[in-house]
Amino acid sequence: MSDNSLPDELAQTMRRAVRLEYWNIFWTATVIVMMGLVLGQSETMKTAWVEDTLGLVPPIMFLIAARLESDGERSERYPFGFERVNGLGFFVAAVALAAVGALLLYNAVVALATQEHATVGSIVILGQDIWLGWLMVGAQLYSLVPPLIIGRRELPLAEELNDKLLHTDALMNKANWLTGAAGLAGVIGLGMGWWWADSLAAAVISVDVINDGIKALRSATAELIDGAPRGLSSVELSEDGQKLCKRLREEFPGATVRLRETGRLIRAEVHETHAPQECRHPRHYWPGDEERAWRLAQVSFIPPVAEHDIGTAGPD
Amino acid sequence: MMRWGALMLLLLAACDALPRDPAATSQRIAQTHSFSVAALDPSVREARDARRLVAEIERRSGATAQWSRVSGEAALKRLDDGTLDLVLGNFDTASPWATDVALGPPLATQGKSSDAIELKAAMRNGENRWIMMVERASRAVSAEARTE
Repeated sequence: MSDNSLPDELAQTMRRAVRLEYWNIFWTATVIVMMGLVLGQSETMKTAWVEDTLGLVPPIMFLIAARLESDGERSERYPFGFERVNGLGFFVAAVALAAVGALLLYNAVVALATQEHATVGSIVILGQDIWLGWLMVGAQLYSLVPPLIIGRRELPLAEELNDKLLHTDALMNKANWLTGAAGLAGVIGLGMGWWWADSLAAAVISVDVINDGIKALRSATAELIDGAPRGLSSVELSEDGQKLCKRLREEFPGATVRLRETGRLIRAEVHETHAPQECRHPRHYWPGDEERAWRLAQVSFIPPVAEHDIGTAGPD
Repeated sequence: MMRWGALMLLLLAACDALPRDPAATSQRIAQTHSFSVAALDPSVREARDARRLVAEIERRSGATAQWSRVSGEAALKRLDDGTLDLVLGNFDTASPWATDVALGPPLATQGKSSDAIELKAAMRNGENRWIMMVERASRAVSAEARTE
């Protein structure tokens, strides 16, 4: 067993993921700056800018969790190491998304209800008066590109690491085109004289942010309260977990099998069964691809307890 | 090649067509050849830069300014309601009216940066084509003032 929380097989993949997330932060920062320069009074642009800024939370949380997982050693105070830091980071990111998304939706609805007309004036560039809306369109188009590329690169790494935080970020980045399209529609609609297009687009973007936040929140909460293993970016039970459960039940008929996740690792408890006599590594029980066997970190056996044994004193 | 040319022309036409005013302010002014204007303070009406701005807007729009006697906050309220097209006045750099109306670039500044008072045009929020025209006129007037 490694001294830290990260299985040895994942070290190289984790290094690649960490490098990618630093690039993610860099490119996201360029999008934030670009959007920030042309914000104006547009609700669409303000909401899109906030959404892009929120896009920094998952990679930052991932990097913190990765550092602790890789460098933090098991100790008396942390006997399980830092396996769950990733889950905690996921939870924090989910709460941030859901809460800020709700606030943005509120602002958009208020703007619609009060019939706010956004002013988007002009700016002088090289002696020419340019409508700021065109720069907003340019910024929105630029904001589509980096997340799309980064999302595609994140996905295979997230699957290899079985990293929920990274996987959620990958899917959010890949789906960014939807919010970009809403943003473009909002600005163009504003230019067409449809004042409501701006707030409506902002509301659409906010709903998307809330949706991402809620999905992530459900998945993160399940892990933190020892729920059964869930799929990546899904609230459904994971296929790996279900196969493992079946495998253990077949090997130990009559036993109650309980699984939970600690970060990317699965821990199993087999109740009402004595441990087998021969010494077996937990990975022996992994039902699927051997290369993924690192996921099963523990199989514990809790022997049956007869009623008259309950409440008896300890050693004489 | 012809298709790209046609697309470019279409894009250029779109660049000129946008933005439009939700309440069709620019369209109405073009059709009626007049726009309504008021001063926050009656003395602003006689200010050289204010008169220059109104003349510049008249020149660019081909419309005539119709001065209203209303002044002060009542003028800004009527601007917000859409019953006035333009209000000229001296505004603080951190004016609380900045979110309720669209303020143009400064025509003239008095005082130091933290306490500066700026002579500006105010337009109804969201009437972006009209706002752009007034902004262009304001920049032309303040550039002219700087060269004198």
